[in-house]
Amino acid sequence: MSLTLNLLLNGVALGMLIFLIAAGLSLIFGLMGVLNFAHGAIFIWGAYVGWATYGLTGSFILAILAGMVAGFIIGWVIERFFIRPFYDSHVAQILLTLGLMLVLTEGIKLIWGPNILGFDKPELLQGVVTILNDPFPVYRIFTIAVGALILIGVHLMLTKTKYGIIIRAGVQNPEMVQALGINVRRVFSLVFAFGAALAAFGGVISGPSFGSIFPELGMQNQLAAFIVIVIGGIGNFLGVAIGSLLVGVTQTFMAYYVPEAALAVNVALMALVLILKPEGLFGVRR
Amino acid sequence: MRAKFLNNKLLVGVMFAALAVVPFVSDSKFLLSMLISIFILAVFGMSYDLLLGFTGIVSFGHAMFFGIGAYSVGILITKTKNPDMLYVGIGIAVVLAAVLALIIGALSLRVKDVYFSMITLAFAELLFIIAEKWSTLTGGNDGIPYIQVPEIFRDRTAFYYIGLAFLIVMYLFLRRVIDSPLGRTLQAIRENEQRVESLGYNVLQYKLVSLVIAGVVAAMAGGMWAILQRYVNTSVLGLDRTIDALLMTIIGGVGTLVGAILGAGVITFAHEWLSSLSTTNPIFERWLMIFGVIYIVIVMFFPKGIIGTIKDKWGARGNKEENIHGTQANQRGESVL
Repeated sequence: MSLTLNLLLNGVALGMLIFLIAAGLSLIFGLMGVLNFAHGAIFIWGAYVGWATYGLTGSFILAILAGMVAGFIIGWVIERFFIRPFYDSHVAQILLTLGLMLVLTEGIKLIWGPNILGFDKPELLQGVVTILNDPFPVYRIFTIAVGALILIGVHLMLTKTKYGIIIRAGVQNPEMVQALGINVRRVFSLVFAFGAALAAFGGVISGPSFGSIFPELGMQNQLAAFIVIVIGGIGNFLGVAIGSLLVGVTQTFMAYYVPEAALAVNVALMALVLILKPEGLFGVRR
Repeated sequence: MRAKFLNNKLLVGVMFAALAVVPFVSDSKFLLSMLISIFILAVFGMSYDLLLGFTGIVSFGHAMFFGIGAYSVGILITKTKNPDMLYVGIGIAVVLAAVLALIIGALSLRVKDVYFSMITLAFAELLFIIAEKWSTLTGGNDGIPYIQVPEIFRDRTAFYYIGLAFLIVMYLFLRRVIDSPLGRTLQAIRENEQRVESLGYNVLQYKLVSLVIAGVVAAMAGGMWAILQRYVNTSVLGLDRTIDALLMTIIGGVGTLVGAILGAGVITFAHEWLSSLSTTNPIFERWLMIFGVIYIVIVMFFPKGIIGTIKDKWGARGNKEENIHGTQANQRGESVL
């Protein structure tokens, strides 16, 4: 396997992880106009709860489930008690979710300490496979597969199911959906909690992929997700998926060739999109 | 009249006068240093309040400007080995901050308001990483130690008065900006952007000017910070630094300017106190969490902060234009209590 292909696959794997955070963030923003600055904290909470469960039970599947449940609950609580009273004020939402990010991140340090914790891969997913005569970690393949499954699953859910239609209609015009007799509030809560669970899921999956977890990881990944959302166009699900892959792949290539400039390139990419097409590559101007 | 009590010139004057006699009352080096750092942080907080409280935009990258100030001064003094380069350093910092504010503002203020918070955060992170990696210039993670300072700053009492003068001058300057036609327009933008735009104002330009002023003032505060600490590292650029500004303005009172001064005092003293408690119970090591909770409670239930809440209690009627929750509701024509 050539170096290019190797980097490309690694980039796709990273892109899938970013996508898991960005997807929820984008859905929530598209539907409710809420930019959740605590999303990265939910991601890292997922990772820590997953780590703890994995340590206790030794089961990676249970770890994923526990992480997702934690994410779902945190997301639901945030929406119900902190976002809902302030649907009218973007400023208050931004300020509040940033405060929650702070408290949630500090909470992790309080419970698990501020240091780096090692997160081992489950036995089944250790080792390497050979692709075109070169080794490639099984776990990366797993990440790509899981990411692709989620991507397709959520896409189908959004386009084929009744709930998906309600969500997409809500993105377009929440008042109209409410007028048609659908409880938009409840849809909001569910989407928020679902997006949070997705981020937490991403957290558990990322742990073994990075090999270790630490509290600040949440903010770092949230930044990547923000950049993806600006590039892909907010509220556009497939745009976010393509943006994630783009950012993941560029970051991986840059990290290999010019490691100093890895994040700079993403920010530069974002700046470029903002200059040329402020609504994002696949976004619609509203 | 009573409602205006706390913004009363007299009261602010009394506060500054009281601060001016502190060195006569106490010669504790520790207290003086702490007050100097409060003055500098207060200027940083006030510059943030111009954005959050008076223009209604939420920047999560304000540390960029502070950091640019600190690094400009630190780098220039250590590279030239001439402490008097402080003044040139601050000049350079002002120019850099203005240029950076223009670039970031032009990129991010054109799109939706929430984008601004997100993009400023990303740029701040970029600057942080540059400072970390470009170690030949910035010293990387080790930072720039042993910054030589001009003779006059070596005397604590002299520094104290310079710091106080810095705070007063910046306060008067920002007050002047806020009370000028420019400041009035900014507050109108905060209240109802569409209406201001339809009246024919170029909202983008006004926001840019606000961002540039805030950035320049923050950069000067950063420069002073480098002189006070005699040491600069990446922490001046981190998100925590922006969160400091946010906490100071929110706790003190958004859109009051004096609130940032009060907030800086509260945060610095409480931080010191909570850190000293950390030997008794490890929860105090996570003092930021305690502040985070206080911050959330204030945003949710006392959106006017300490100053605004006292003002409300004092006067019969609250000043509704100074309510961070009011902005969007006003745009929709709903009444704000």
